[in-house]
Amino acid sequence: MPSLILCLPFLASILVYALRSHGRNVAVGLLVGTALVGLLLSLYLYPALAAGSVPHQTFTWAPSLGLDFSLRVDGFSWLFMLLICGIGMLVGIYARYYMPADDPLTRLCALLLAFMGSMLGIVMSGNVIQLVFFWELTSLTSFLLIGYWHHGASARDGARMALIVTAGGGLCLLAGMLLLGHIVGSYDLDTILAAGALIRAHPWYTPTLILILLGALTKSAQFPFHFWLPQAMSAPTPVSAYLHSATMVKAGVFLLLRFWPVLAGTDEWLWLVGGTGLVTLVMGAWTAIFQQDLKGLLAYSTISNLGLITMLAGLGSTLGVVAAIFHIVNHATFKASLFMAAGAVDHETGTRDLRQLGGLRRFMPITATLALVAGAAMAGVPLLNGFLSKEMFFAEAVAARNGAALDAIPAVLAVAASAFAVTYSLRFVRDVFFGSVSTTMPRQPHEPPRSMRVPIGLLALACLLVGVLPNQVIGPALHAAASAVLGAQMPVYSLAIWHGWNAPLQMSIAATIAGCVLYLALHRRLRRTDNTPLLGVLSGKRMFERTLTVFGADLPNWLLVHCFPTRRLQTQLLLIVLCALLAGGLAANSAPFARTPHWASIDPAFALLWLLGAACAIGAATLAKFHRLAALVMAGGAGLVSCVSFVWLSAPDLAATQLLVEVVTTILILLGLRWLPKRIEGISPDGPLTRTKRYRDLLVALVAGTGVASLAYAAMMHPVADSISRYFLEHAFTDGGGHNVVNVILVDFRGFDTMGEISVLAIVALTVFALLRRFRPAAESIDAPQRQRRRITEAAAAERQTDHSLIDYLVIPGLIIQLMSPVILLFGIHLFLRGHDLPGGGFVAGLTVAVALILLYMARGARWVEAHLRVLPLRWIGVGLLLAVGTGLGSLVAGHPFLTSHLFLPELPLLGQLPLASAMLFDLGVFCLVVGATTLMLIALAHQSLRRTRAAAAAAEET
Amino acid sequence: MELVLAIAIGVLITSGTWLLLRPRTFQVIIGLTLISYAVNLFIFAIGGLRTGADPVLHAVAGDLAQYADPLPQALVLTAIVIGFATTALFLVVLLASRGLTGNDHVDGADGTP
Amino acid sequence: MSAHLVIAPIIVPLLVAALQLLAGERRRRTAVALSLASCLALVAVATTLLLAAARQGDGGALTAVYRIGDWPARFGIVLVADRLSTLMLLLTAVVALATLPAALGRWQHRGNYFQPLFQFLLMGLNGAFLTGDLFNLFVFFEVTLAASYGLALHGSGVRRVSAGLHYIVVNLTASMLFLLGVSLIFGVTGTLNMAALAELIPNVPAHTRALLHAGAAILGVAFLIKTAMWPLGFWLPRTYAAAAPAVAAMFALMTKLGIYVLLRLSLLLFGNGAGPASGGFGTDWLLWGGIATIGAGAIGMLGARDLGKLAGYNVVISSGTLLGALGLQQTAVTVGALAYLVISTLALAAFFLVAGLLAPEDDEEKADDALVLEPYDPVEAMGRGDSLFADEDESRVVIPAPMVMLGVSFFACAVLLSGLPPLSGFLAKFALLAPMLDGHVRPGATVLFALTIAAGFCTVIAMCRAGIQIFWTDPERPFPQARVTEVGAIVLLLGLCLVLTVVAKTPLDYLGDTAHQLHAPEHYIRAVLSPLAEPRP
Repeated sequence: MPSLILCLPFLASILVYALRSHGRNVAVGLLVGTALVGLLLSLYLYPALAAGSVPHQTFTWAPSLGLDFSLRVDGFSWLFMLLICGIGMLVGIYARYYMPADDPLTRLCALLLAFMGSMLGIVMSGNVIQLVFFWELTSLTSFLLIGYWHHGASARDGARMALIVTAGGGLCLLAGMLLLGHIVGSYDLDTILAAGALIRAHPWYTPTLILILLGALTKSAQFPFHFWLPQAMSAPTPVSAYLHSATMVKAGVFLLLRFWPVLAGTDEWLWLVGGTGLVTLVMGAWTAIFQQDLKGLLAYSTISNLGLITMLAGLGSTLGVVAAIFHIVNHATFKASLFMAAGAVDHETGTRDLRQLGGLRRFMPITATLALVAGAAMAGVPLLNGFLSKEMFFAEAVAARNGAALDAIPAVLAVAASAFAVTYSLRFVRDVFFGSVSTTMPRQPHEPPRSMRVPIGLLALACLLVGVLPNQVIGPALHAAASAVLGAQMPVYSLAIWHGWNAPLQMSIAATIAGCVLYLALHRRLRRTDNTPLLGVLSGKRMFERTLTVFGADLPNWLLVHCFPTRRLQTQLLLIVLCALLAGGLAANSAPFARTPHWASIDPAFALLWLLGAACAIGAATLAKFHRLAALVMAGGAGLVSCVSFVWLSAPDLAATQLLVEVVTTILILLGLRWLPKRIEGISPDGPLTRTKRYRDLLVALVAGTGVASLAYAAMMHPVADSISRYFLEHAFTDGGGHNVVNVILVDFRGFDTMGEISVLAIVALTVFALLRRFRPAAESIDAPQRQRRRITEAAAAERQTDHSLIDYLVIPGLIIQLMSPVILLFGIHLFLRGHDLPGGGFVAGLTVAVALILLYMARGARWVEAHLRVLPLRWIGVGLLLAVGTGLGSLVAGHPFLTSHLFLPELPLLGQLPLASAMLFDLGVFCLVVGATTLMLIALAHQSLRRTRAAAAAAEET
Repeated sequence: MELVLAIAIGVLITSGTWLLLRPRTFQVIIGLTLISYAVNLFIFAIGGLRTGADPVLHAVAGDLAQYADPLPQALVLTAIVIGFATTALFLVVLLASRGLTGNDHVDGADGTP
Repeated sequence: MSAHLVIAPIIVPLLVAALQLLAGERRRRTAVALSLASCLALVAVATTLLLAAARQGDGGALTAVYRIGDWPARFGIVLVADRLSTLMLLLTAVVALATLPAALGRWQHRGNYFQPLFQFLLMGLNGAFLTGDLFNLFVFFEVTLAASYGLALHGSGVRRVSAGLHYIVVNLTASMLFLLGVSLIFGVTGTLNMAALAELIPNVPAHTRALLHAGAAILGVAFLIKTAMWPLGFWLPRTYAAAAPAVAAMFALMTKLGIYVLLRLSLLLFGNGAGPASGGFGTDWLLWGGIATIGAGAIGMLGARDLGKLAGYNVVISSGTLLGALGLQQTAVTVGALAYLVISTLALAAFFLVAGLLAPEDDEEKADDALVLEPYDPVEAMGRGDSLFADEDESRVVIPAPMVMLGVSFFACAVLLSGLPPLSGFLAKFALLAPMLDGHVRPGATVLFALTIAAGFCTVIAMCRAGIQIFWTDPERPFPQARVTEVGAIVLLLGLCLVLTVVAKTPLDYLGDTAHQLHAPEHYIRAVLSPLAEPRP
């Protein structure tokens, strides 16, 4: 049953959206109907509650997190369910006629239903996390509802403010609930409610309390978080009536009372909750007097009434709780009806400004009467519900006196506040409906349609009934609710209208008189003044806005722009290098680290070799800025030296590969060099800053170098006892069928690495190519080098000329290369074939062939080559990949894992029997791919020059 | 032997890092090349250095005593290839950025030289 | 044959990419069909593997181990499909399936070879998630990165190229560190197989342990660069913001690759089994680094001025949160972290797509086209008429995405990322936060707890501001053009998040088992090195 009540609104909300094409009546009908059904179902639950049982429903949600989706309905939540559904229904009816006729109402009804569901979820939750879940949902829906008319700036700001305040509070609440759950060891509400003593004794009690209070007080718009509520008044009036007076703002006090048994009764509670309540009570009431906007007045009075409830909860006496609950109901009824009345006035006259209104009772007598009743209830006039709860409040305020000094302050302030309440109630009723007819009303008013009056009437009637026959009307419900909260410590209280001539009565009489006097004293200048005396200066709104702009936008943005090196690569790299140094350094010294200065026999020749290498490296470093070509050569030199040392250290495969890669890279960079801007030394003298930066970097680099060097040395000094390499040496031939262990590892033991590696090559080739298709040289490097410019001036045959121009310079070498390239090709094939047994292999072979090709390009020029032989790099790449993968998949057919190599021993003529591994096929794939990828990159880059000349030619033709 | 190689690696890393931190794209690419040399040597050195050892099996099976450790070599080969590819890519990106932004500063905008 | 299913997530995209290359750019339909087929296949395969992994006894002894080339696990390369790996596989497949259609719109026309590059990216990711070998991991990282370079630059243009330049240099540096670290670890232990490493680390001789730690630390830095930990992650937001939306959506997954590796290695190599000398190595760094990252991300998010950056800093925040959670090394927290990882990945992917739809159509590309000189085309130059010009594909269904639709998606993303109800972001946050307070609470834990909540608050502020500005401020805003596929992708991702809120039990149980498997690595080790995994004679 509870689950049904909870689900209905959400389902209806979806339904509303689904039936959006069926006009506003359907939407409203769904809203009202759902609310009505919810109301009836809730009422249907009453017998069970009266019998003292608590309907429970639990569904497994995330048991591993200790989360179950559980619903529980006790008297307290039941009372709230009545409020939510009942007022929801009335608001629905009201909205049908209040909202402009062109509004389809789909969004409004869907959102209101969703809100209703979330609100029901809060009060019915049997699990605190689930409570937070619905709590935040109400924040979100209220955000959307406040922003309903989002073309207005005030609506946007109000919505944002409400969301940030309440959702922020919700996050605090979540934290608080997590702490609570940690203290108790369960998130189940009943368990927590049973563990009061434990919680109050726990060292985390205070932080938990504060966090939970942050949630509750923000939601209930308590000082100093009250400012969002008046801003929220830019929402449509039905929304204000429903969310911001009757239900959502009550969620905070609901929470306070819900956890009253476990959290209350400590000094922290008394001071925090009671104090906040008292301050809010007075401040709200005082500010309300000076509002010029009808809804603004009501908003501040709501704040003050919520303060009253909070204070009652804070006092910590059980009677206080009863009074609080009672006042929640009363306030909901009269305030909702007042909001609706205000809406009706707005709807009829087109303004909500008190200064423009007056004497409306001539035009809308019924509304006036209803508003009069409700206003009287707000003022606390006898025979109305407001009076009763106010009496109880006074009684508590008096009872709170504990004989200490200044203990009368709460009572005095309470009287003052209710005096203010009388004043603003008077102002609301009299300035609008009585007095002389205002002439400044935008529209000529008349009675609003009946179904706008009906809801107001019903609520006013409720005020009256409760006020006259409290025991019969509200008594049982109140008792059920209060006993649900207080359980065993339920006090005795009487709801009688007449308690005899006692302090509370005297106080309320005093308050009423004072209020009237105050009104008479003020109402002249009230029409003039625009800001609140005493409190006008500290506007929470302004402070909030300023804080938000400074800390929420400007400061972060400033930090972002000035402190985040998002656009400065050097800083980022420096940070990376430093972090690596720090991490590596710390870790290296984390454990005892035997540095044995092991002066092994240093081969002087090798040392000499590396002297050269080091010279090259440093040279490259120093020249790279102004003398690019030299730097490139130097770097190449360093590379060569490392090649040589590979040979030296008996790793010919490495040497070969490194050498070829060397060559290709150099060619690539050479092809690229001409696009870079010229840099002449000494044009821009370095400032001191630059110089210091350079020294800093040099220092960092030195540290890095030393670090890596020492790591390398240490690693070499402590060779691992038993490496898996042994296995490879033992099985390379027997199982891998090759003598060249390295190659066998590459194509067989770790062939998978090779597959990934060639994919990288393929990817890069594609990227390079894709990028170069959109390549756009900088303006100054478009014009050709001097040599060619001469010829381009004779534009007609630019293309032929360029090729000639190349050829002219390379006639002899060109010829040689042209003759040689087939040889190189052959050599490549040879390298490939012997790869498995001798240094070589697919990769080296592929590079060789690619080099041959590019040499041909250099010699003969692109046009010639492409006219004579057709290279389709993409095809090569694709085929290569397919070959490699295919080989791997072949073994799957044989039932072996991917890339399992098979050994054939075919008898070949002349050669005799020689071992052929399927791995060679794989190697072939590597070969093809390398050829394809490398050529693609090389010619793609080489072609840029042709594009240039072609473009130049085109340009020349135009002239 | 080891000492020399270690120092060599150190020098390469130093000059490479220094270039890496320079503002011009060409300096960066040269720096990366140098660093990758160093890293290759480093990986290779990890396996221990052997001079005059035979790279290719002549027996059916061998042991680490008389052969150069093959695994680091294989790793270095892979590393070389990948390094080659990425360097090429970086080169082209560098050119493209030079073309689009009109200068060869790593940040596109010509700041401090 | 089902035994060979483990290799499929790597091979299928590779094959598809190769075929797409051979098919040539002209046959775009074929390419798209192939890609879609591959993504669907990947989802199917990943699901099968995941179910298989879920069936494993908690002993984990049945973890699917695949020995490539049929060599013994210690010496060859193995693929391991345990719960975590298969989870990541499925996540990847789903995000890919969602983002691919989104890319079919305008984006794939902005350059060449989008489809093959996309497939290569998938191959790299899957390989990295599956492999059980340290160096092979490096290789697949490189595959992923290379593909990501290609995709990040896809469409060219000043913004992309200059952001891509930084991206590439940073990652090249990271790769160098990666190599240094791996080779050091190999030098100390003499093996590359992760399980074997975990076995060897406890009894590494004292005088080389320092080297081991140095290697691990350097390796860690390499991964932390990829996860954009402060201060190593300044490159991320700009790169992601510059990339094409679909690409950025995939990248949201790529940062999680780094997280995955850290999770795997820190628990496998330096978990409880690593002995006193190495146990819990570096966890404090992860914790505090994560905390700093959250802070930086929050600042960036509040200060960000455009949607792309906003999303980028959201990525940073989620990385930071995960790193911090990793640092705590508590099983329960790991469960939450995994949940958060999944949800935030889906949400971020969706958010990047939404942002892409809302971003004003940048005509930078067209400008470039105008400025590009006569386009070069080697295949054409080589006498074949297979032009590589990106010709518009005519089968585009353009619907003016109703602002409502976009608004709802944006709202959903905001709710997810800030961890508010009703979507699963809330559950994930809860699962992550609740256990932080259990056990003996480390000082860092409370800070992380508070900061995670604060970050949620900052997300609310930032997203609220952005949303209001986009959807509420000017109603006359022109409807962005969105294709059915693009909207569908977003709906798919967000729908998944919604489903995960309702049916939370089963997924969370799976994640719980995963976390237990991770925190008890001996099962993994046994599974990989058990005689069962030796080649049959």
